[in-house]
Amino acid sequence: MIRFSNVSKFYEPSTHALLHVNLHIKPGEFISIVGQSGSGKTTLAKLLFAEEKPTKGKIVVGDWDISNISQSDIPGLRRQIGVVFQDFKLLSRKTVFENVSFALEVAGEERKRIREIVPQVLKIVGLSDKHSRYPRQLSGGEQQRVSIARSLVHRPKILVADEPTGNLDTIHAYEIIQLLKKINEYGTTVVLVTHDRDIVNALKKRVVTIAEGKIVSDIERGKYLLS
Amino acid sequence: MSITLSIARMVKFTSQNVFRNFWLSFITSTIFVLTLITINAVLFMNVVADSVLETVGQKVEVTFYFLPNATEDIVASAQGYLRGFSQVRDVQFVSKEDALNSFTQRYQNDEVILSSLSELGENPFGHSLVVSTYSTEDFGFIVDAMETPEFSSYIKEHDFTDYQQVIEKIELLNKRIRYAGFCFAALFGLIAIMIIFNTIRVAIYVHRDEIAIMKLVGANDWFIRGPFILEALLYSLLSTLAIVIIIFVALGASHVQMIGFFGDAGEQIIQYFKDNAIIIFGLEFAGLAMLSLLTTAFAMRKYLKI
Repeated sequence: MIRFSNVSKFYEPSTHALLHVNLHIKPGEFISIVGQSGSGKTTLAKLLFAEEKPTKGKIVVGDWDISNISQSDIPGLRRQIGVVFQDFKLLSRKTVFENVSFALEVAGEERKRIREIVPQVLKIVGLSDKHSRYPRQLSGGEQQRVSIARSLVHRPKILVADEPTGNLDTIHAYEIIQLLKKINEYGTTVVLVTHDRDIVNALKKRVVTIAEGKIVSDIERGKYLLS
Repeated sequence: MSITLSIARMVKFTSQNVFRNFWLSFITSTIFVLTLITINAVLFMNVVADSVLETVGQKVEVTFYFLPNATEDIVASAQGYLRGFSQVRDVQFVSKEDALNSFTQRYQNDEVILSSLSELGENPFGHSLVVSTYSTEDFGFIVDAMETPEFSSYIKEHDFTDYQQVIEKIELLNKRIRYAGFCFAALFGLIAIMIIFNTIRVAIYVHRDEIAIMKLVGANDWFIRGPFILEALLYSLLSTLAIVIIIFVALGASHVQMIGFFGDAGEQIIQYFKDNAIIIFGLEFAGLAMLSLLTTAFAMRKYLKI
């Protein structure tokens, strides 16, 4: 599904964010990428949805080599990979429904299809009854669920969640992780980037640990190993 | 994916851009209108000057006064010679007798002049030729042409100096008006460039969150850039429409005064703008659109990182 082959990313000639990373993520897998701040885990996520390009090595998503993806192909890739961030990235002037439908509107989806898809994804994330609210009228956990709903509208095969619980309290963080597990059960590959020890340990899923740009451990049903 | 639908949504985002920064949009359009007003004012003055020059030019003639010893045959030969030039519109022969009659009629109440004339005992005037050309610029050519040895020894003098000065003054004034107009148009054009650049920059800044999300969810580059391009085109279109309305309302409202003040030129100006409206305003829109598109492209290149 996703394969990193000897991938390195340098920001300046002497500063490396990732070094010789080899990683294979199978379809339908739930994988946690953990590491301390500055370890390179976010860079790895950014390489996945082509926010960054690798300096060396090869990244393949499905059958698609995205190592040197052209600017015109990036939108196509991003419709196949849903992305969720710590800061939600919602539009404050738009309602929940409008925030989610925005992703379909800019992709040129027809209004009829939008009216079908948006209620479905809002139902999945449990926000059907709050579709007309604005982000400021929602809790942090609910805002993150809107963000997840938006990432699901293109029915992506992969969902990349970069510190999705970073701004949330324990209860809301737990709800978001349950939601990600539910999405994973529907068949979507989930790549969770986090440094939250409790979440990683509770998940009991594959854990890849990164330190100083290198993969230092890769364990099925792993735990958070860093101190 | 429907292209029509995408364009419709780009138009929607464009209108959001315009209305969310209403005052900036208003100022941008106003500067565009001022630029167009300056250009049209230059055009207006140009039509006035051309019309005045044409009117004066039609009234201007150069008169060749022949010496009394030049016979009628020689003058008739010169008349034929001049008529052979394509620049010449008409050559009128004035005989020495007609000149004398005209003189005596003009000074019929002036005893001193008339008695001096009778003392001479003979007609002191020679024949003359009155030449008019299609263009006032051709007078120099006609004067040079009459320098030929065949006629030059019979010519006493030629006269068109006063009119020439008038023409030169009008032409000089027209050139200065054009120059000043182009300077003003260039100045407003420069201001327009800076304003549209800033407007697009602000629009990109205001929509930075939407743009980031558009990129994130897979919007195409052209969909992200499109609203800014449409915005630039919209300002050009609105400004051109505004200038069409301003000019025709102004011309309509001042129709009587224009004709009263400029005479035939007033009518010509109104007719000129009516006859050439599509070309004038089409070119102005095209120029403005080109200017704003280039500036927008530069602003996007600098501030819109996709």
